[in-house]
Parts: sequence; C-alpha cells; structure tokens
Amino acid sequence: MSSRQQLPRGAEEGAPEQRQRRLQEAESTDWGGLLRAYLDSHRASLVDSLRRLARQPFGSFLTCLVMGIALSLPMGLSLLLDGVERLGGSWQRAAQISVFVKLDVAEVEGQALREQIAGMPEVLNAEWIGREQGLEQLQQYSGLGDALKELPDNPLPAVVLVTPREIDKAALEGLRERLAGLPGVDLAQLDLQWVERLGAILKLGDRFVFGLAVTLVLALLLVVGNTIRLHIENRRAEIEVIKLVGGTDGYVRRPFLYAGAFYGIGAGLLAWGLLEYGLNWLNQSVVGLAALYDSDFALGGVPLDDALSLLAGALLLGWVGAWLAVARHLRQLEPQ
Amino acid sequence: MIRFEQVGKRYPNGHVGLHELSFRARRGEFLFVTGHSGAGKSTLLRLLLALERPTSGKLLLADQDIGSISNSEIPFLRRQIGVVFQNHHLLFDRSVFDNVALPLQILGLPREEIEQRVSEALERVSLKDMGEQFPSDLSSGQQQRVGIARAVVHQPALLLADEPTGNLDPRLAAEIMGVFEDINRLGTTVLIASHDLALIARMRHRLLTLQRGRLIGDGEPT
Repeated sequence: MSSRQQLPRGAEEGAPEQRQRRLQEAESTDWGGLLRAYLDSHRASLVDSLRRLARQPFGSFLTCLVMGIALSLPMGLSLLLDGVERLGGSWQRAAQISVFVKLDVAEVEGQALREQIAGMPEVLNAEWIGREQGLEQLQQYSGLGDALKELPDNPLPAVVLVTPREIDKAALEGLRERLAGLPGVDLAQLDLQWVERLGAILKLGDRFVFGLAVTLVLALLLVVGNTIRLHIENRRAEIEVIKLVGGTDGYVRRPFLYAGAFYGIGAGLLAWGLLEYGLNWLNQSVVGLAALYDSDFALGGVPLDDALSLLAGALLLGWVGAWLAVARHLRQLEPQ
Repeated sequence: MIRFEQVGKRYPNGHVGLHELSFRARRGEFLFVTGHSGAGKSTLLRLLLALERPTSGKLLLADQDIGSISNSEIPFLRRQIGVVFQNHHLLFDRSVFDNVALPLQILGLPREEIEQRVSEALERVSLKDMGEQFPSDLSSGQQQRVGIARAVVHQPALLLADEPTGNLDPRLAAEIMGVFEDINRLGTTVLIASHDLALIARMRHRLLTLQRGRLIGDGEPT
C-alpha cells in the first residue's frame, strides 16, 4: 500500500497535527479536480439511473404514461377553457344594444335618430332595421312565416342596432340609459346576461380544473413515490453497503432523485404529445361546429410556453416525489 | 485508536450485548476478538461502526465519541473504517473494479486516482487482472479478497473483519490472514472477530476473549 496520500475526513490525529495537516491540505487542494470529481459523481448517478430505467423499458414507459395522462387532464381542460374564454370574449366584443323606436316615429325621423346615435363617441356602429325588414327577418328565422302573414298589421317597431366601442359592463349600462332617454325611443335593451352566465360557468370550470390539478398532483406524487419505493427495495442491499462504506444520505438519495426527474420528463413529454394529438383530434369537430355559426373559431395547439411549463412542472413533480419517498424510506435502511 | 471505557450495551428487550467492557487498542495494532456465539463480538463491531450506540460508558474511535456523534457525522466516521464480512456483501450487478471503487467514488476522488488506487488494491489481493469480472464469476475465496480490496482501497485507519475466513478452507484462510497482516504492516489497525481458535493461535496477535458480553481475557493466545 502506498503511503496515505489523502485521509478521509476525521482521520485520527492529534488536534495540533490535525490543524496543521488541514492547513497544508487547504493550501494544496486541487479545486478544479474536486469539481471534476463532483461532476463525475453526478454524471455517474445520472447515467446509472437512466440505465436502470432503460433496463425495464415497458415498466418505465407505463409509469410515465400514467403520469402523463394525469398531467394532460388538467392541462387539456385548462386549454379547452381558454378556448371557450376566447370565444366568449369575441362574442362579448360583439355585444349590441337594441334601441326600439316608438311605433309612431316615421322612417325619416328614425333615420335621423340613427345618425344621432352613430355620432355618439361611445358608439362604433349604428344599423337601422326598419319595421318591414324586421318582420321579414322574423318570418325567415322564426319558422312562423305563415302565421305572421296572417297578422293584419306589422306589430314590430323599427330598431337601431348599436355596436358600442366599450365592452365594460358599467359603460355599456351608461350608454343604454342615455339611448333610452333619447326622444322617439321606446326601449333600449342590453342583453349581457348570457355573457355573464358564460363567465360564471368558465369561473366554475377554472375552479374545477384547479381542484382537479391539485388532486392529480397529489396522485402523481404518490405514483412517483411508490415507484421510487420499489426501486429502493430492489437496491436495499446496495444502499446498506454504500452506507457501511461511508455514503451520506445525499449520496444514497442522488440516483433516485435523477430517476424521479427522468420519470417526470418522460411524463411531461408524453402529456405534451397526448395534448397535441387530443386537441388536434377535437379541433376537427370544433371547426365544423363553428362553421355552422359562421365562425372561424378553432382550438389552438399547446402553446410553447405552456408546454415548457408542463415539462418543468413534471420534472419538479418527479424530483419532489422521489425526494419524499427516499426521505421516508432512508431511515429504515440502516445496515444490519 | 480505539478506547472502550466501561462500555455497556443493553437492548430494549432487556438482552445485554456488552457489560462494562474496557480495553484500548493502539494505532497499528493487530487484534482478534473471540468468543462463543452471543458473546458480544458482533455487538462490539456494530458499536465501532456506529450501527448502534452504547447505552453506558464511553467509546472513543479516533478521538470521536461514538455515543454522542451526530447522525450526519456517522458516514464520515465510517470512511475511516474498512469492513470485511463473512458473506462478502458484494454488489453482484457491478464489476469487481466497480465494487472496489465504491468507497473512493463516495469520497469523490478523481477518476484517474480511483483507477490507480483500485488497481493497487486488487494487486495487493492478487486479483490484478480480474477488475472486469463480476463477483458471480469468482470463487468464494476470490470474492472474499474483493471484499478485502474494497475495505482497504481508501486506506482506512481501522480495518474490521467479522469472521472473514468462516467459509474458507484452511489454506485460503491462511492466505487471507496474510493479506490482513500485510495491510497491518502499513499502519492500519486491524480488528478481527473470529471463533477459529486454531488460526488465531497461529497468528500470535493480541486476543480479546468475550463471554456473555464480558471481557474475560486480554493477551496473546496460548
């Protein structure tokens, strides 16, 4: 055996000698070499973890798939809700105020009223729908064409359809009141109730997605934790030997943390793929349905920043799940 | 190096593993511990490895009090110790080289130094060209030598061995003991628990005899 070049920490020596030796060691420490050794050690753990996962490709894939499905559910629902919110927003922007003109107001006076309204700064557009035009539209779209033809007089008032610039509810209400007060106006109607209902439903959906996400995150931690627990059980003998020869808890923990992170990355990638495929598949029906309503609405794919957040979150979940599992089981793995 | 001062070990079930055990071992000393099954040999080794704590008395190893050492300090204490087991405790999914390199990897030594030290340790136990083999390819005696190489590769101050020749024939047992003596000559304190009295008698080193947790003999074998 060569003479002792480097004693491990705490080797037996008298206190002054020990201090002297530490000073000498500190002066001659090769920090670059130590850093390389530290990185080598991490690389070895990383490669070892990857090799062990690759040794059981089907089992590893299934674990990632279960995690991926669990991740894709809240993310997918969230993306769908975003789509509906976008759609609701565009409808809200198209919110209009119907100004019903009194029956005794002549066509010429009504047109003048339309021009007055169109000149208001809060108004983007004002469209005139005369009494006859209104009746025609009602006959065309209500399915009551024949019945309406039997009416002796046209009961419908002329309408000025007002498109406001502002979509703020309070501003819209103020505009509606001003329009209702104009001479010749019978009633000004702002129907935002359905938009409010949609908003309430979306809010409920958001809460549901949040609750689902929290539940599934807990489930994911359990999945990773249980998988890592099995890894630990399989390597019990090895862990005991490592502890006997001076391995710290951090050293023992390291390969399992890498394994958890790999599970997370795998799950994140699978979830991304599932979401892209699922949204694309659903989009074909959504586009068809939107076309029936003269809309070009379509579901988008997974935005890149969302996808990257998904990957980072999945990696973190895998790592945290592994950390919790190892922390729980490490104490039970003292060498016997 | 090792100082037992009235060390006692009582288990929660009432069993007494060691009873007021006192002895000292100098750095570089070679000593055997013997006794029948249940005499306290394993308890003594477990205390030295900080696998258990004494319930009374004081146990100092390299001036560190094992009774009061913190859990986070235990791995660093164990890095000063090499351990050889009767059943080798090798990792069968790793090569001989990787088994021997394990303590050095834990110490975080550079790869070149690990290669050099493992090579030296394997040469010392006459397994120089077997680094690429796996433990399952080796005989029991060779496996034991791999265990010894792993125990000494990080040049520990203390080498503990628990029945290291228990499964070996007399020729191999003598060979293994020769390896321990070589290591001892380089300054490592060696403490071997064994009940092979014939072998101990041949070696003529200090012998501690335990009976029911008590030290009943301390001296050269007769």
